[in-house]
Amino acid sequence: MKSEELRVKSDEWEIGGKTLKSRMLIGSALYPSPANMEEAIKESEAQIVTVALRRQSAGEGGGNNFWEIIKELKINVLPNTAGCHSAKEAITTAQMAREVFETNWIKLEVIGDQYNLQPDPYETLKAAEILVKDGFEVFPYTTDDLVVAKRLADVGCKILMPWGSPIGSGQGLMNPSNLKAIRKQFPELKLIVDAGIGKPSDAVEAMQLGYDGVLLNSAIALAQDPVKMAQAFKYAIIAGRLGYEAGTMQKREFASPSTPTVGTPFWHQFA
Amino acid sequence: MIKISVNGEIKELKENLNVKQLIEVLEYKTKGFAVAINTTFVPIAKYEETIIHDGDTIDILAPVQGG
Repeated sequence: MKSEELRVKSDEWEIGGKTLKSRMLIGSALYPSPANMEEAIKESEAQIVTVALRRQSAGEGGGNNFWEIIKELKINVLPNTAGCHSAKEAITTAQMAREVFETNWIKLEVIGDQYNLQPDPYETLKAAEILVKDGFEVFPYTTDDLVVAKRLADVGCKILMPWGSPIGSGQGLMNPSNLKAIRKQFPELKLIVDAGIGKPSDAVEAMQLGYDGVLLNSAIALAQDPVKMAQAFKYAIIAGRLGYEAGTMQKREFASPSTPTVGTPFWHQFA
Repeated sequence: MIKISVNGEIKELKENLNVKQLIEVLEYKTKGFAVAINTTFVPIAKYEETIIHDGDTIDILAPVQGG
């Protein structure tokens, strides 16, 4: 089945000044091979792919080959500031990324703890304020802390990317109620669950919370079959969104028969 | 003679070059990377007017895979 058939009720949406169909943001790292990465990204039908910047020697061709593949995909590129530990480093990386990738989009990632790669809220906020003023469309990677989300919105972020769980952990959504609270408090912001997604049902859960999209990398790249998993996530994200838009039923304490009871043959009452 | 660090490697230059000259000396291509000196971004438009000094730390970054 083609995903277009499933997209009938899934409207286009807007993020960072672009109108998109897909609500998946896909990473480009950790795939078994560049060819596999290319195929998985195509299969996902994602319209945003994350990339990074690293030191490169003059003779190295690897990075440029990678960039040629990404450019050929003709989708939106979201550079990250992965590996930065201070606002200063992140700002410099963002400025370098803007020149190399020719985009004002930046996934702002400032790590505060090496063990669980938890974002540093203080440095992230400092960098976000400066980057927004400098004309960047900031996609800040943050925790599920409501007050941090509020501060990031206060400095002009139109997009927030709270974590589901630590980067690359595949633990899914550690704290759905916190994510729900952020959604409720900021209906006007674009919200993306970034990091920690492990399986398609995690993406469904994030989308059912009313999140606008999901950013994932390891869950696809480290699957036994990344291309097939990219397809699984494509459908999961559509299913979750449709489920959210359709509105789920209220939970009940007790069972309630779905088949009509009127006219039931061989009727007998429970004692 | 001045000593600088380029992407973590110590290099020696005979004179104070500007960024454009440094890139030529190091045989980088003309596009597809960005430059920072001492953690401050140097845009392409400022390559010629930015002089490399003794002890400077230069980072030359290019696209790679990222999540």
